[in-house]
Amino acid sequence: MDPEVAEILVSGLRYLGAGLAMIGTLGAGLGIGILGSGAMQGIARNPDAAGAIQINMILAIAFAEAVAIYALVVALVILFVG
Amino acid sequence: MEKEEAKGFGLNRWLVVLLLVAGVFITGRFAPITPHIQLPGEPITDVLFTLPILGPFYLTNTLLATLLVDLVLFAIAFAVVRSMGDENSPPRGWANAFEAIVGALYNIVESTAGKWAKTIFPWVATSLLLILTANWLRILPIFETIGWMHEAHEGGYEARELIQGVEYIVAEEAHDGHGYEIIPFFRGSSTDLNFTAALALTTIVMVQILGVRAHGVNYFSKFLSFGSFFSMWRRKRLGPFDVIMPFINIFVGILELISEFAKVVSFSFRLLGAIFGGAILFAVITTLVPMVSFGIMFLELFVGAVQALVFGMLTLVFATVATISHGDEEHGEAH
Repeated sequence: MDPEVAEILVSGLRYLGAGLAMIGTLGAGLGIGILGSGAMQGIARNPDAAGAIQINMILAIAFAEAVAIYALVVALVILFVG
Repeated sequence: MEKEEAKGFGLNRWLVVLLLVAGVFITGRFAPITPHIQLPGEPITDVLFTLPILGPFYLTNTLLATLLVDLVLFAIAFAVVRSMGDENSPPRGWANAFEAIVGALYNIVESTAGKWAKTIFPWVATSLLLILTANWLRILPIFETIGWMHEAHEGGYEARELIQGVEYIVAEEAHDGHGYEIIPFFRGSSTDLNFTAALALTTIVMVQILGVRAHGVNYFSKFLSFGSFFSMWRRKRLGPFDVIMPFINIFVGILELISEFAKVVSFSFRLLGAIFGGAILFAVITTLVPMVSFGIMFLELFVGAVQALVFGMLTLVFATVATISHGDEEHGEAH
């Protein structure tokens, strides 16, 4: 293969790979949605507990979000490293 | 009364409007440039000294930003101490503001950690304040803009002279292949894996030490749980479950050990990914729609605060889990 063509192909595939890696954020989005819904229901049922629920919700969201951020890191590494 | 308030806000309001209009005009005149993006911190000095095993040492821009963050924290601490006054006078100024912040933090820590709050609180507050300051200082205009100019390996931009010895790059393709790019003096500390991994390692090691302080050597039975083997011999009648259980416990111990390392990885990459991703997002949005890019800054402020809070809260939770009793194996086998 022509080396120039190969280089273009590699950079194109790199973008494709970064895009595919970000599919992993789908699960995190779902998880955060479920968490938010649960927290809203909890607050609606017991408004006094709003503070505690919020802190725990943010904590749980951080766990769900971590997966998305791993995907982001993988995509960024594919794009900007090496 | 309303008029009084309006008077107080009057000057600032016009100042904000003026700055916004000036920002729009300036971004129209000097188009923003996509910076050179790379994950490791860029070196801004030559090799300072070389150690035998560790290799060459040099100052990176993220390390310089971390030093700036430290300076700011020291300055705030001194300001708080100075404005504290004696015990009888009510707190005012800096002391008042930080009493509120630290008090709220301490309440959260106490509600989770209980009697260990006094030991855990300094760690939580330190990492939280450090990360919060680091994430918010990133918004300052000097970050990622001012630095050494050097010739780019590929691409790069045209350089113009501003005043004697000071140049700036403009958003034009470099002619005759001599493009320039900038290595900034300051880059957000959290965009460097060294910063986040160091914090994560410190936190997790501290959690282990807290666990040992709370339980003594018993703490390590969480990882190497041979306890149920010994209790197997003491039984008179052995059911099949009693034979399988020790092996399950050992497997669980191995999982616990792995999860400690996973905590380090997840701690460091969560912070790095959120902040570095935000930095790239800001760079891209600034190039695409320069006029409204300040909107992204609010998102950056929010993400920075949330990540700092999350780091602090996770530190709190891990430390609390390490200090509370986990020896329910013995209780479990009693009945």
